[in-house]
Amino acid sequence: MARMKFICDAERCIECNGCVTACKSEHEVPWGVNRRRLVTVNDGKPGERSISVACMHCTDAPCMAVCPVDCFYKTEEGVVLHDKDLCVGCGYCFYACPFGAPQFPQAGAFGLRGKMDKCTFCAGGPEENASAEEYRKYGRNRLAEGKLPACAEMCSTKALLAGDAEVLTKIYKTRVVTRGKGDEIWGWSMAYGGSGMLADQPGGKA
Amino acid sequence: MKTIMTAAAALAAAFWLGGCTEIAQEPGKSYAGKEDAKPYAGDQFKGDKAKWEVALAERSQKQDDYRPHSAADKK
Repeated sequence: MARMKFICDAERCIECNGCVTACKSEHEVPWGVNRRRLVTVNDGKPGERSISVACMHCTDAPCMAVCPVDCFYKTEEGVVLHDKDLCVGCGYCFYACPFGAPQFPQAGAFGLRGKMDKCTFCAGGPEENASAEEYRKYGRNRLAEGKLPACAEMCSTKALLAGDAEVLTKIYKTRVVTRGKGDEIWGWSMAYGGSGMLADQPGGKA
Repeated sequence: MKTIMTAAAALAAAFWLGGCTEIAQEPGKSYAGKEDAKPYAGDQFKGDKAKWEVALAERSQKQDDYRPHSAADKK
C-alpha cells in the first residue's frame, strides 16, 4: 500500500459543504471543531473556485516535527495520526501546519484549549479498531472497514478524491486530459490566472 | 605570518566544506504514544492485508467516473 492522500478538484467543487457535513456527522465532531472546511476564492465573482481543505497527511509533516510530546505517528499507509492521551493541547502543531488542520475544542472558560483534534483520514487512532473508545476520541475507523474517508465518498461531484496517491493521480490525469486543457493543465495560469506568459509573471522580464 | 595565514585558510576551507554535509532531513523523533492496530487487523479482514488492499483499491476506482462501468456496478 502506498501513500494515502486527498486531492480536491477545484474545477468540480460546487461549494456544497457536503464533505464538511459528512465529516461532522460521521465522527460526531464537537461544536466549534471543523476537521474539514471549504475555502473559496473570488467569492461571487467570475473565476470563483472552491476547494475542500483538511489535514493533507503530509509526507514530511511539520506537526510531527514540532510536537513537544511526540504524540504524532504515521501509519504504513502514510496517514498522520496522533495519540490524544498524550497531547497537551499546546497548539504548536496548529502554528506549524500550513493548512490550519489542527483544531482545538474549547475546554472551559477563558479560551482554554482541549486536546488537538484533526482529520484522521477516517482511520481512527491508537485504540482498538472499531471500539467505543476509538470512536469517542477519534471518530469512526472507516479504513478498517475497507472504506474510504466519508467526505470523499459523500462528494456529489467527485471533486474530492481520497485514496492511494497512485490511483488518484490516474483518475485526475484522465479528467484533465478529457477536459482538454492542453498546455494549461499545469502551470502559472491554471494556478493564478493570467496569460501564463513568463513576461506577465511577477519578476518576469519582457 | 605565512603559517598563520595558511592555518586560517585551512580552517576556513574546513568550515566551508562542512557546509556541504548532508544533514538527515527526517526529524528522527520517536513516537511516544500507544501502538495502533493495523487497519486490516479487525474482524472484517482478520489480518489479511492483501484482501484489505483489494477492497480499498476497488473502492478507490469507484471515484473514477470516466471508467467503463461493469454490470456489477449497475445492480
